[in-house]
Amino acid sequence: MARTTDGIQVEGTVVECLRNATFRVELHNGHKVLAHISGKVRKNYIKIMLFDRVLVEISPYDLTRGRIIFRYRT
Amino acid sequence: MNTSYCTVVTRIAPGQWHALEDDQVVGRAHASHRPDGRLFLSIDAWHDAVFDRLAEAMLADLPRPLYTVVDEADVDLRLNWLRAGFTTRRREWELLVSTVAGVGSGQPPAGVTILPVGAAEEGPLRILDRVIRDEVEATVGWQEMPAEVLPRLDPSKYAVAARPDRYVGLLRLAALPRQPRIGLVAVRSDQRRRGVARALLAQTLASLHERGIPTVAADVNESNGPAMALFDGLGARRVSSNLELVLR
Repeated sequence: MARTTDGIQVEGTVVECLRNATFRVELHNGHKVLAHISGKVRKNYIKIMLFDRVLVEISPYDLTRGRIIFRYRT
Repeated sequence: MNTSYCTVVTRIAPGQWHALEDDQVVGRAHASHRPDGRLFLSIDAWHDAVFDRLAEAMLADLPRPLYTVVDEADVDLRLNWLRAGFTTRRREWELLVSTVAGVGSGQPPAGVTILPVGAAEEGPLRILDRVIRDEVEATVGWQEMPAEVLPRLDPSKYAVAARPDRYVGLLRLAALPRQPRIGLVAVRSDQRRRGVARALLAQTLASLHERGIPTVAADVNESNGPAMALFDGLGARRVSSNLELVLR
């Protein structure tokens, strides 16, 4: 887990694709967060699918929420 | 949450803004040009007040028109952009097609042969690509097409419909192991309405089915009637939709 001025960024795996354009991501520490896709990812037409490995930025206001800021190549 | 008095928005680089609260980044905004020249924006903020501050800063600095893309199911984000003055320009469906739909359907018209992905010759393919690009530009324009249609030509990703003297149709396939995607299906204007596109699509689906791939995805502009009919005819399912928003 990395904490920078950009916030907390954690790697995880998409374990569920939900409605409202959200995903449940299981982090490497076992915690699960609800995550949206970042605008930059969406703008570049990068698709997020079940079991994708992703980098999630955790909300500083609610540690159960985050946004997917990067999808790793599989 | 009222954050407007303690949030500082700064343009940190060309096309990049940050919103800071207590030295912590609580929002980011980016602007970048698509290959067709249009300027697309994105804003990521943890709450609406920060989104509004970032939008205000960006919109004051950038020339119109401005564009963005949102998932239609992401209601909160869409409302944020609408509040900033954006309006919906078009909808693009993400379709999922079962590859078994291609088995035994879509024979090409007489005199046309379908060459599978990777079998096309580069020279005739480049000529066809140029013709189709010019036809699109002279009619609907690339702005009406998904962003994926613009990358440079890579012959290994194309299936083509060939007549003895020239290529008349093409299909671009991104054969990603996790989910293959069809990036473009196009037929020369003088060869349309003969089943060329359906044959291209059906035979590509059948080929994927033989390799054990169950589905293929595609993004299609809702206003592109022939493309929607082509995919609907093969039983495509609508799985999500993106909205392109514009501020003029």
